[in-house]
Amino acid sequence: MLTGTEGIVLKTQKYGDADLIVTYLTSDRGIINAFAKSPRKTRSRFGSSLEPLTHARISLWGKEQSLPRITQADIINSFRQIRDNFQDFINASKLVEMLISLIPEGIPNKRLFAFFLNILNFIKSSGQETKEALHLIAQIRLLTAIGYAPRLKGCGKCGTRSLDFYPDSGTTLCGKCASLPLAKGKPFIRINNKVIHFYTHSIEWPINISNRLKPNPETLTELSGLLDKHLTYLLSKKLRSSEFLAATTRPRPRPF
Amino acid sequence: MSGSLVENLINELSRLPGIGRKTAQRLSFFIIGMPGEEAISMANAIIKIKEKARFCKNCFNITEDEVCSICRDPGRDRSKICVVEEPSNLIVIENARIFRGLYHVLLGSLSPIDGITPERLKINELTKRVKEDNVSEVIIATNPNTKGETTAQYISQLLKPLGVKITRIAYGLPIGGDIEFADEVTISKALEGRNEM
Ligand SMILES: [Zn+2]
Ligand SMILES: [Zn+2]
Repeated sequence: MLTGTEGIVLKTQKYGDADLIVTYLTSDRGIINAFAKSPRKTRSRFGSSLEPLTHARISLWGKEQSLPRITQADIINSFRQIRDNFQDFINASKLVEMLISLIPEGIPNKRLFAFFLNILNFIKSSGQETKEALHLIAQIRLLTAIGYAPRLKGCGKCGTRSLDFYPDSGTTLCGKCASLPLAKGKPFIRINNKVIHFYTHSIEWPINISNRLKPNPETLTELSGLLDKHLTYLLSKKLRSSEFLAATTRPRPRPF
Repeated sequence: MSGSLVENLINELSRLPGIGRKTAQRLSFFIIGMPGEEAISMANAIIKIKEKARFCKNCFNITEDEVCSICRDPGRDRSKICVVEEPSNLIVIENARIFRGLYHVLLGSLSPIDGITPERLKINELTKRVKEDNVSEVIIATNPNTKGETTAQYISQLLKPLGVKITRIAYGLPIGGDIEFADEVTISKALEGRNEM
């Protein structure tokens, strides 16, 4: 059966000689895998349409349960500007990895598709000066959209003001609640009001005005460390893209 | 018994890329029909390559010796290094007989989502060669896809401070192709990389 949908390429894996398995976030079927015959050959008709982040109209042949074959992919937005920028691409890869690790395959979510498309458009069109904050905002909003955002607004149990974030509980806890059996003795991260302020606004402000948030570098570093710890706890492993980011942005003669 | 021997050969051959079960079957029966010494010499070729083949300690090309024949060739221009992802890419460029410099095989490409970080590739070894071997130009010939491009960008940023000229092979339309069938990214890249006539 031939069916059509819209998809954003999340990742591709080599398969056999010149074939690829493409993981898409689709508009109507959630995350799916599909198979493409020979796209790696120089004269392939797929051209660049299967590169990561490409938003395309795709035609699929075969049952959804088995691996359907991509018969056609017409680019709607290539997002090549993101791939052509090293930092943007690694940060977008982190969002992709979060999606793939936290969302089961085959569960339709139209809002998530629209949301992710919106984020890619925003990364593509934003100026470099606000990029670092934007990448963090994108992560926070993605986690919020899929229901995995950490809670930093008061104690997660009783609502009392608190600045101690417990990755094991995914929330800030007050001293009293933190001494209860479940959280007792667990590691926590002390945060400050600037981090909470930036975090809250990242979620609450529309993304198109979020470039007005002007966090200082320390706030970004602290919050990004907190999110990484939160994700490591959620996934029981470190995100590969986070490790990649750390490995490629160590102090060097000239920054990227 | 004979059935399982044939089956075994078919299974082994179908591990090869591009060889499906049908082809593996055809090849197996061809091998069965071959003169004994020819088939044994073929099998020995596989054994020998696994015993003898290793990576050149200079460029990571496949070789039987410590240093590959290209690195040993005194006629090659030692000031130019062409960087490729895999030894198979090197062979394709070498067959075109237009490049007379040396190579550097990375043995892969960078990929954040697969956790392929710079230290998993032969990038430090490349930096060392550029620093120590009087290299004037590094030609980056990684694949024209996202992983290849990410790798190219990283290497270029890493080597620029060393004062070496860094070039990237041109992106463009495949020869014999038709513009009509090219997508927007291919066309944009081909236009950006245009040459004066
Ligand atoms: Zn509490
Ligand atoms: Zn060599």
